[in-house]
Amino acid sequence: MERTNTPTGETLYRKDLPNGLTCFILPKPQFLRTYGVLSTHYGSLDSRFRAPGGGVVDVPSGIAHFLEHKLFEEEGGNVFGRFAAWGASVNAFTSYTQTSYLFSTTENWEDCLIQLMEFVNAPYLTTENVEKEKGIIVQELQMYADHPDHRIHTLLLENMYHEHPVRLDIGGTVDSVQAITVEDLFRCYNTFYQPGNMALAVVGDVDPERTLQLIEENYPIWGQGQGAIERFYPAEPPKVKDPWVEEERPISQPRYLLGFKHEPKWQGEDLLRQQIIMSLGMRLLAGRSSLSYGDLYEANLITDSFGASFNAEPGYAYSVIGSETRDPDALHARLTTIIDGLKTGNVSSSDVERLKRQLYGAHLASYESFEYTANRLISHHFRGTPYHNYVDLLQGVTPAEVQEALAEHLDWDHSTISILRPVKTDD
Amino acid sequence: MRFTQRELGKGMRLHLCETDKFKSLTCKVFIRQDLQAKNATSTALLPLLLRRGSQKFPSTLHIARELEDLYAAEFGVDILKIGEQQILELYMQMVDPSLVPQGERLLERGLKAFWEICTQPQGPSDRFMDSYFEQEKSTLEQELKGLVNDKNSYALARFVALMCANEPFGIYKSGDLENLRQLENRDVYGHYQTLLAKHPIDIFCVGPNLDEVARLFTSLIPSHDHTIELELPQTIQVTEERFFEETMNFNQAVLVMGYRTNCSYRDKDYYALLVGNGVLGGFAHSKLFMNVREKASLAYSVGSHIEGSKGLLTITAGISDDQQEKALAIIGEQVSACQAGQISADELEQTKRGLISAMTSLHDSPTGIIDRNLIGVVEGEMRTIDQVVDAIRRVEYDDCVRVMEKIQLDTTYILRPGDSQNTIDEKGSNHGEN
Repeated sequence: MERTNTPTGETLYRKDLPNGLTCFILPKPQFLRTYGVLSTHYGSLDSRFRAPGGGVVDVPSGIAHFLEHKLFEEEGGNVFGRFAAWGASVNAFTSYTQTSYLFSTTENWEDCLIQLMEFVNAPYLTTENVEKEKGIIVQELQMYADHPDHRIHTLLLENMYHEHPVRLDIGGTVDSVQAITVEDLFRCYNTFYQPGNMALAVVGDVDPERTLQLIEENYPIWGQGQGAIERFYPAEPPKVKDPWVEEERPISQPRYLLGFKHEPKWQGEDLLRQQIIMSLGMRLLAGRSSLSYGDLYEANLITDSFGASFNAEPGYAYSVIGSETRDPDALHARLTTIIDGLKTGNVSSSDVERLKRQLYGAHLASYESFEYTANRLISHHFRGTPYHNYVDLLQGVTPAEVQEALAEHLDWDHSTISILRPVKTDD
Repeated sequence: MRFTQRELGKGMRLHLCETDKFKSLTCKVFIRQDLQAKNATSTALLPLLLRRGSQKFPSTLHIARELEDLYAAEFGVDILKIGEQQILELYMQMVDPSLVPQGERLLERGLKAFWEICTQPQGPSDRFMDSYFEQEKSTLEQELKGLVNDKNSYALARFVALMCANEPFGIYKSGDLENLRQLENRDVYGHYQTLLAKHPIDIFCVGPNLDEVARLFTSLIPSHDHTIELELPQTIQVTEERFFEETMNFNQAVLVMGYRTNCSYRDKDYYALLVGNGVLGGFAHSKLFMNVREKASLAYSVGSHIEGSKGLLTITAGISDDQQEKALAIIGEQVSACQAGQISADELEQTKRGLISAMTSLHDSPTGIIDRNLIGVVEGEMRTIDQVVDAIRRVEYDDCVRVMEKIQLDTTYILRPGDSQNTIDEKGSNHGEN
């Protein structure tokens, strides 16, 4: 097993099994809970692909999330009861790029781990149970659609991207969900749930050798072919689709979201470095310690909800900056000046050094969360970014690099704005 | 993971849990008062005002830069409601100083900054800075109006206000717009000074090196002369079932049902109630999830929970608008099944294990270790995790059925998709009850 030390002085173990599965084990002495997560490198973006030895396939959007729901089902019921018998909880989530199944328990963690590996490897899909699930998923889509934060984000991505599937909701649309068939689900399952496309992480007071042995002895045998999966994404123009959209919603005050689209040109260590540089840049632009936060708050143009983030994967990259606001147009005007100033002005070294200290402290603290740590290990593994180099890369960032990255990224020709306004009433 | 207590004066206690398990030091200060509409609103302004600046760190920017220098220390101020008490929570978490360069100076610097920001707000000696006060009044106004933005929170808040209209429990934890308009800077400041000087204060710390933390707190905090006694919640009998329906411009309906349990943290049967609720709707194996979601596909989210101080059981579900009657019927059947004793040995055992696991898991999080004690502080009887686990283990089938038989439906509330004009009115208190 490969060992690395975390910045908090813990030891992380990693092993790639002969069947292709990557395993991470992080022992946590004194802790009572054990957390395990099994993930496939398969998310909502993967709707056009070539399976090993097959032709190119197109499937309706929303299948990764649909499978996430269905794998809990087994003949005659669902798997919740088995975990409940140990007092354990079991859950799952789907993102643009991965689907994860997890348990958390204080008892029988070995049984939980075996069950997790088994149920994820035993799909039970029938025409009847697939049709029934559509009702639940449509309720879930509507629940999210009613949420203003979710809505404005969706609106922004729909208008930033012409073709790339990042513009679609992770769960798909009501229509695409209705179109999904048992055959589609199996086709995606058989392609993406091969062990070579998956990773498993266990965090808790566990013995690493014993844990690995347990995985090796109990991971179900994959009865089908394995091999490289080719994923296809539509050609995406560099410019945004629509620079400004507005919508009325039943909300108390307007919301404003500004997005900048970037060509996804980073891979591996460069991508991780870019994520760190932009975390610093976004804090300089909109963090609590930025001048803009204080000024805009004093001017009553933003609320506590003001913030900015940068999101990048090998296939897409964008940032968002936004807030609830009484006056989206005035906020936009002020932000324009602030952004132009930041692009051309000098990013101060003392600000960058202080923010590096903050990111370092936050990185140390993040190891306290089992969920965050396990999920981060897996998502960086799938993304191909060397997470163990995080602290070294952070220490190496210079103010000039942050300045340069902001100047390049904050390009008005690649920006788009979404605004939600309260529904007008007649009185 | 036990706390040891030290008195810091009349009505002020320090609870210390020394451990090297975590990579952090966590402190929470709870200041309690009876829920009253005027004071509730006044108290709800404090989190907003305190984050604006102190004598030493005069603006949000100064505070933020100090926190960044302290390696991502976190400060927070929040409002909680347990039973019929409102609680002002002051929160600090910082990375274990021994993990960072020159950490030995960090602890004192962090605690001093925390206490200074929480107790020495920016402004003249008798009030908050006027411009901060006016601006944060409008921030709170927006927050109260902004409840409509999250229909689940909105539905719950409306439900509680309607069901408990004549009880302190019906007061929203952040007060209301009518009281907000009348608040004066000096009064809010005076109220805060009273809270600090006269109300019960409990300080919880989890982390390493707590002797030093205790020494620092003792030197920072002036002597406390608490005189105010707080009340425990009223028990109300259900006289008739009530039904309320409101509309808002959304896709999906939210259903909330409130039961009086006639049982609370103070009762011997309290842990049987937790188990009964767990069988009904606390878990993915529970009756509500299995029947409303898995069998009938009527909802994505459905569940129930207990408010242990007031003794309420609340069921919530997000449902499609045209399925309202069917959902009500199936939910009613699940409650009746529990009351009729249709609880299998598996359901009982799984629920007890689930509750014990959730309770034990709290040992793994500093905030979990602290927060679970809050109800004990409010009710005047703190219980250790071992005591609670033991009490849950001892719950038998008969206890569970007996306690579920006593629950009575009081209020059903449904927020339906429809014309939203009525519900976004700014008074927040005179929505139509059809």
